[in-house]
Amino acid sequence: MMADPLKRRQTILTRLVLVCAAIVFIAPLIVAALTSLKSPAEITRVLSLPTDLWWQNYAAAFDRMGRSFFNSIAITVPAVAFSILIGAVAGYPLAYMRGAGGKAIYFLLLTGMLVPFQIVQIPLFFMIQGLGLYDTVPGMWLVHTAYGIPFCTFFMRNFFASVPRSMYEAAQIEGCGPARYFWKLLLPASTSGLSALAIIQTRAIWNDLLFAITITSSDNARPVTVSIAGYASSLQVEYGPLMAGTLVSILPVMAAFLLFQKAFVRGLLGGAGK
Amino acid sequence: MSLIPRSRTARAHILFLAVPILLFGAFYIYPIAASVRLSLHDWNGFSPDQRFVGLRNYAALWGQPRFINAVLNNLAWVAFMLTVPTGIGLALAAILDRGIRGETMFRIIFFLPFTIPAVSVGAIWRWMYEPSNGLLTTTLELVGLGGLAQNWLGDPDIVTFALMGAVAWWTTGFAFLVFFAGLRNIPEECIEAARIEGGSDWQIFWKVSFPLLWPSTIIVLGISAIDAMRLFDVIWATTKGGPAYASEVLAVQMYDLAFGRFQMGRASAVAVSLLVLSAVVIMPYIWYMTRRVQDAEVE
Repeated sequence: MMADPLKRRQTILTRLVLVCAAIVFIAPLIVAALTSLKSPAEITRVLSLPTDLWWQNYAAAFDRMGRSFFNSIAITVPAVAFSILIGAVAGYPLAYMRGAGGKAIYFLLLTGMLVPFQIVQIPLFFMIQGLGLYDTVPGMWLVHTAYGIPFCTFFMRNFFASVPRSMYEAAQIEGCGPARYFWKLLLPASTSGLSALAIIQTRAIWNDLLFAITITSSDNARPVTVSIAGYASSLQVEYGPLMAGTLVSILPVMAAFLLFQKAFVRGLLGGAGK
Repeated sequence: MSLIPRSRTARAHILFLAVPILLFGAFYIYPIAASVRLSLHDWNGFSPDQRFVGLRNYAALWGQPRFINAVLNNLAWVAFMLTVPTGIGLALAAILDRGIRGETMFRIIFFLPFTIPAVSVGAIWRWMYEPSNGLLTTTLELVGLGGLAQNWLGDPDIVTFALMGAVAWWTTGFAFLVFFAGLRNIPEECIEAARIEGGSDWQIFWKVSFPLLWPSTIIVLGISAIDAMRLFDVIWATTKGGPAYASEVLAVQMYDLAFGRFQMGRASAVAVSLLVLSAVVIMPYIWYMTRRVQDAEVE
């Protein structure tokens, strides 16, 4: 009983800390949203609400970034599918192989995670030009699939290792070959891992700037991140349209995470922990 | 004991690994080798002849304050990423884990910034840091601390700290979510047992919960270190490394030298230096992760 007032005070204190933190986390997004609806005359009054909703900012952003937004979709959707497929294809044998060979290959592929992409940037630029894929959407698919290999392999290998081995043994007794086992049994049983990886890859690919500025140069293939970076670093920044475009660029991945947050956490801990 | 001939399984395994290994060779190993070679040459990217200069690109870099500054910035970013977003994320997760009303809402709010593209983080924070009308300056003036307002992104002494603030806002959600999920995975009995022993909340957290969080901790630290070495987008979208190269990291410098000044050899030398730095920082982690997987299977 004696601890009660103390406990109450503690609860109030924790709530206070949480609310303050929440304000700090959400304020930039709210200010950006308000700014995107303000006319140029109002924009300098950061904390006020817009008197009229100035949708022209969104029209202006669409003029400058609309095409690149659709490029982002055209790049991200297939590239995510390819990269998780490659990760599964590589992760499967590595999860089942015994002996030094498998270990060495796994280590080699994992070292890819520590490679800063600057070390491949210049040769990649010339390679992609040589392949005739410079400034094309398929070029971006190829690059994202290839550079996703280390993480996707790591993730899928660990996921497959957590799938009960009895399934594999039962399939073997039934006379099911290793390839058939992978396509018919293991992949369909792995949807939770695959979807968690899909969310992680969607974020990584949609948000990428470095590869995009290296191997795209025009509205042919340029994703929305490049448009925003160009817009944000121009000398006379118009913050209204910039914030409008920024908010639209945020929405797809944010929505995906909010919808699949549980799968993401489970996949991350199940795939890499334990 | 396998009923299928070993060779058939082994053949299938090799077939499965063929495409990933080929892609890895073409997109990692070949370009890395090409960059190392290029770093020993002088080349503008167009002319047919590349002049061999030995280690002169490296020697030139190490004599430049601009290069040293970028290396120091990279190290500062590693130290920052390993501690600040990780620490705040852990603290928020521990506080929220006490069972507070509105938990879902707080969880979503803390996590939201992490889903945003780095360039959008840059764009938003350029506006927050706008020296006369930005949110930060306006708020400081509102509470009567206008004197503390700075030219956040324009002052070489402050710019890296300002960028770190933006990145903390961006990445804390990741650490928070992983720690939060980890805390939820800890069996209730462990905490109860410690409470019966008479431990205070503070003791229980550090003596019981935190050690059991190790799988979460190792993920967060590893990913933070990798992100710190790869950091490029936020700086590029916010300051392009300025003012006067003050906020540059090696990745930004490399891009400027290669695609801004067409000094491909010099740029490659920067990239190789970054790779070496990154290997020193992150290799122990990769080694640990591979080893741990083997250990887990031996059990």
